[in-house]
Amino acid sequence: MSIDDTTLALLADGMLDETDRVIFEGLARMVETVDPVPAGLVERIGMALTIEALQAEVAELRLVGEPALAVRADETSIEAGTITFTTDVLTVMISVRPEGGHVRVDGWAAPAEEIEVELHQGGDLTVTVSDEDGRFSFVDADHGPARLVLRRPSDPTVPVVTPQIEL
Amino acid sequence: MMSDDLVEPVDTALRDQGEGLADQAARAVLAYREGEREPLAALVHVMTPLLWHTVRAQGADPEQAEDIVQNVWLTLVRDIDQIRDPRATLQWMLVTAKRAAWRTVRRSRDEQVRQSNDEHATDWLTTPVEDLPDSVAVRSERDEALWQHVRALPDRCRKLLGLVAMVERPDYAVVSQALGMPVGSIGPTRGRCLAKLRAALTADPTWSPS
Repeated sequence: MSIDDTTLALLADGMLDETDRVIFEGLARMVETVDPVPAGLVERIGMALTIEALQAEVAELRLVGEPALAVRADETSIEAGTITFTTDVLTVMISVRPEGGHVRVDGWAAPAEEIEVELHQGGDLTVTVSDEDGRFSFVDADHGPARLVLRRPSDPTVPVVTPQIEL
Repeated sequence: MMSDDLVEPVDTALRDQGEGLADQAARAVLAYREGEREPLAALVHVMTPLLWHTVRAQGADPEQAEDIVQNVWLTLVRDIDQIRDPRATLQWMLVTAKRAAWRTVRRSRDEQVRQSNDEHATDWLTTPVEDLPDSVAVRSERDEALWQHVRALPDRCRKLLGLVAMVERPDYAVVSQALGMPVGSIGPTRGRCLAKLRAALTADPTWSPS
């Protein structure tokens, strides 16, 4: 179908009306259908911004050894195993394994003290406190991208943050 | 208080018409600077889809697009005190996203240049219905005519209309300018891209606006 240029120009100069609104609605459906925004993207960005807001005070932990757990967020498999992070002030080792429909995270932080440990998952936050040997666990974590934020009583102004890991 | 009765309806009407993403972004930036983070978190929810589609329309693959969109947000927060005109935040984010996508796409094409020629120039929204997963294809049956005519549009029109469809009227101009389209390419009049699509649709007996 083709229309002549005069007709097209006239149509182009017309004000947007109800039919155009219907077309836009169809277009919006089409865009969302062909190329949906990935599940969890908004939550991951929210989490990144939350961490960023802490940034001035944060010591980011570096991954040590094989990044078996630090897979990209679009991977859905659980990589059971052990992973170690380190920074000048703290070393954290965690092991992750599936349990029921959930994920169990056991961790150990050194130097040992009673550290407050936050598990950030999307918009959710779970908090626990390690024992005096620095051991902590989260028994019912959900699958998906996560970060730990650790606050030490010996230096409460500098929280320590892990990179994002996939549980 | 009589005067309030007279003034308020006008006020409300203006607010309903004027509030778009650009306004919401401006308010979120100002609030964030005051230490209030909630409005920005809300903005992430409503604006991330637009950024996503903007980046995808430039040809970035899904993995690249996720990184780019997240980085645009992080850059905004890191530079938030430097923004001189908060009202330009939406425009700035769209342009930043688009340019980052260009750079990424160019780089990956340079890397692949030996394997394949540049046949995957932007193919955003051109997937034929029959290539979609069945569940999607069934859902989209009622839009089939629309899909066919959209695929027939020039690349720049397809991008313009697809992205403008993501926002409300007050933001049409910002979105089209960020794409490098001339002022007035859409809204308050239709502009040529939408006129073309509308002419094709209204001439197609299988399409009905309901």
